[in-house]
Amino acid sequence: MEQRWPDWIRERDDPHIAHTRPEALDDITVLDLSYKNFAGCYCSSMLAEFGAKVIRIEPPEGDFIRTCTPYGLLYKGEGLNYLSEGRNKHHITLNLKKPEGREILKSLVKKTDVLIETFSPGVMDGWAIGYEQLKNINPGLIFASITAFGQFGPMSRSRMPDYDNITQARSGVQSATGEVLPEGKSYDQCPWAVPTKAGPWIGWAQPGTFTAVGILAALYWRGISGEGQALDVATAEAYARFDDYAALWYQETGIVCERFGSLDTAGWLYCFAPTRDGAVFLGGLRLEMWQAFADMLGKWEEWGAAGWTTLQVFMRKEEQLKWAPLVFAETRKYTNDELVRMSVEYSRKGRLAPITPVVAPVCSPDEPMKDANWLDRGMFTPVKDPIYGEVIVAQAQHKMTETPVRTKWVCRPAGHDNETVYSEYLNLDPRRLDELKKAGII
Amino acid sequence: MAEETWKDYKDKKHSRPKPLSGIRVLEVCTLLLGPAGPGFAAEMGAEVIKCEIPPMGDTCRDLTPFGYQFREQGVAFAHMNTNKYFLGLDLHKPQAQEVFRELAAKSDVIENNLRPGVMESWNVGYRQINEINPGIIYLAKNGFGQWGQYAEENRPSNDGASQGFSGYAWLSSFPNQPPLKSRLYICDNYGALMGELAVLAALHYRQRTGKGQFIELSQTEAIMRAMTWVWPYQQITGKTAMPAGNRDLSVCPADTFRCKGDSFVAIAAPTPEEFKGLCNAMGRAELADDPRFKDHLTRLREDNATAILKIIADWARGKTPAEIEALAEKHGFAACHIYDTGEVVEDEHFRARGFMTEVDDPVLGKYLDHEFPVMMSKTPPRVEWGCRAVGFDNEYILKHTLGKSEDAIKKLYDCGALGKWADMPTRRPPSNWDGKAGLRQA
Repeated sequence: MEQRWPDWIRERDDPHIAHTRPEALDDITVLDLSYKNFAGCYCSSMLAEFGAKVIRIEPPEGDFIRTCTPYGLLYKGEGLNYLSEGRNKHHITLNLKKPEGREILKSLVKKTDVLIETFSPGVMDGWAIGYEQLKNINPGLIFASITAFGQFGPMSRSRMPDYDNITQARSGVQSATGEVLPEGKSYDQCPWAVPTKAGPWIGWAQPGTFTAVGILAALYWRGISGEGQALDVATAEAYARFDDYAALWYQETGIVCERFGSLDTAGWLYCFAPTRDGAVFLGGLRLEMWQAFADMLGKWEEWGAAGWTTLQVFMRKEEQLKWAPLVFAETRKYTNDELVRMSVEYSRKGRLAPITPVVAPVCSPDEPMKDANWLDRGMFTPVKDPIYGEVIVAQAQHKMTETPVRTKWVCRPAGHDNETVYSEYLNLDPRRLDELKKAGII
Repeated sequence: MAEETWKDYKDKKHSRPKPLSGIRVLEVCTLLLGPAGPGFAAEMGAEVIKCEIPPMGDTCRDLTPFGYQFREQGVAFAHMNTNKYFLGLDLHKPQAQEVFRELAAKSDVIENNLRPGVMESWNVGYRQINEINPGIIYLAKNGFGQWGQYAEENRPSNDGASQGFSGYAWLSSFPNQPPLKSRLYICDNYGALMGELAVLAALHYRQRTGKGQFIELSQTEAIMRAMTWVWPYQQITGKTAMPAGNRDLSVCPADTFRCKGDSFVAIAAPTPEEFKGLCNAMGRAELADDPRFKDHLTRLREDNATAILKIIADWARGKTPAEIEALAEKHGFAACHIYDTGEVVEDEHFRARGFMTEVDDPVLGKYLDHEFPVMMSKTPPRVEWGCRAVGFDNEYILKHTLGKSEDAIKKLYDCGALGKWADMPTRRPPSNWDGKAGLRQA
């Protein structure tokens, strides 16, 4: 008999065997020159997890981004964001402000497939190591730039640097995320009812991921045509691209998408709801699921659920504002666990079973890290790092039968790999390296 | 120079090749996590055939802000289903499964976001397709992956559930306030982007070895991967990572501030030069030498961060966002008012770069949409045409790709394997459609 699918696939893509599998990008060399920009680090992590040889190039004093860490906390001398995204990379130092440093970079570029940089537009050109100059050395080079405004356009020469919170502000997303200011209240009374940014550095991680996708597409094209090229990512554009309906809605109606708390402008039933011990997410984007939810709460008759014929009515703003308090009054009677169990139970025995609403607990990030399901799936397996010891970073997010991602080490101090990389790529001996170090080049 | 590389990029992009030309992707996807990924591939030039169950097709077609439809189409649907071919195929029917398998034999990538086992029950699971096309790259996206406790429980998921489950929403709110849902379908879109990243890495591997593979992507694992510092922080301190509203815990100062007239501005100025610039802009040059703020790591400490953010908040309160933006440009730190959707759509810079791009669609007419946010100098990704009705391209695909006769196609319609749209808005073409525009000749 054919093996059960979950068993069959787990045998082939469990992260515990990832180290026995080949790596998708182990023929690719990447130079990551990003500076005080996490999008660059994250981008090169995406490639390094797939096995690319990523050489992180920092100024001799190290990248400022290493100091960007919550509450200023360091672990064995390392900031926590960098500790997570130094993974699988070879960390060298090189002073690009000095002509000799730039000559060394050019020598490295000859042996490189991809270069990632985040300097203000014009800086690399001014150093004579911009794309137009480097492509003469290596026509197959894929040269990816990540900046606040991009390489061209009226704002591209702005002096303003790129940061996550700025990206979220410029993308239009922050304006429409957040609690609504209660009627009759002021911002002084409700300083939390304001446009609200999201997540830890999603405005950097997301553009970094987009850039990695672009780099791989460019590599594919190079495989066909032999041509390299330049890539240009502006972080606010990348983040705004995820805004799925606001632009289309605005241009036809002039309506500007506004904050709607944890309800959803484009869907019902689709919201966070308060409970006795926290909050749950409720999802029922089909009429039957919304009916099932009403039924699960014992409101089938009172709310007239049998007579509902379309979900479209409920998606209107005034209907959402009418129904949400009724729903919340019910969910407040239960704990998260009770509501989750009620939904599972309903899928078995309810009037509309197996149809059931999606009920999911809104967790603090402490919970997933202890959750047996994610531990079993290898998400938080500690990495045994020779320098930093056992460190927990999120990993194994791509489970694949042939070339799964893996985290081989988490991080290394600035310049840790100078000797091995410079010797391997440029045949520089320790004495020469010492001279370069004394001259402030590496 | 960058000017040279990007000269006339916007005007010339439609005459240039696209990076994934020649790649064929079959999608059996619904809502957002599924279709967004092939949408990215399609904008990069892959031929994406979107298979929907006729006559209602993808549930995403229902997602409309407060019931508003964009030219009689679902708005989010229109945004993420560009450049695709639309096939109405009822995979419950054996004849439809046969059509799918014929297409699969000629495809490079298959993507679905159904629950584990559904594709297998339709005889188009990975094991079944791999037999006829061992080079296939087969991506399955969902909430919990293919194996493990939650997958075995067959738990449903969607974006909001994933925002809840991962800790992402909990962390993206204000302290002591209920968790806040992002207005973006961030976990759907980000999961989709991470899925495409793996597909492209797998494609690179296939280019080298000829081998295909299976990829599983859990949207919750994908978003947890992006929550970088959170996991080592919790491991190292033994504490739960806490929400901090608009303040960036890893960059100081970086926050959103209230200005004159209840408007808002985001500011970031962590490096020594940027911080000094901000202090000068505030007319408080002495702060740069204050021992509490002397370097970034010191400034990030809770007490110090609170103190400097308070100073900036008091200053910002008497300024307009525009005044602060001008000062940022002059003094070299980052500031941006909170753009609303209208400003994103109308922004001169986004327009000049072609990020807000004009689509001239034969079915939907002219409109503006976000361009793919990675600009590529030789192979520009781009939006070329808009979404279509269920089954709109049936004849083209069956004749052109599979070489079927009129008679064979009629039989497929007769048995219900092949079908077209329901006669209702969001499923059918706009009512002003002439019955011909947008149809491709086989």
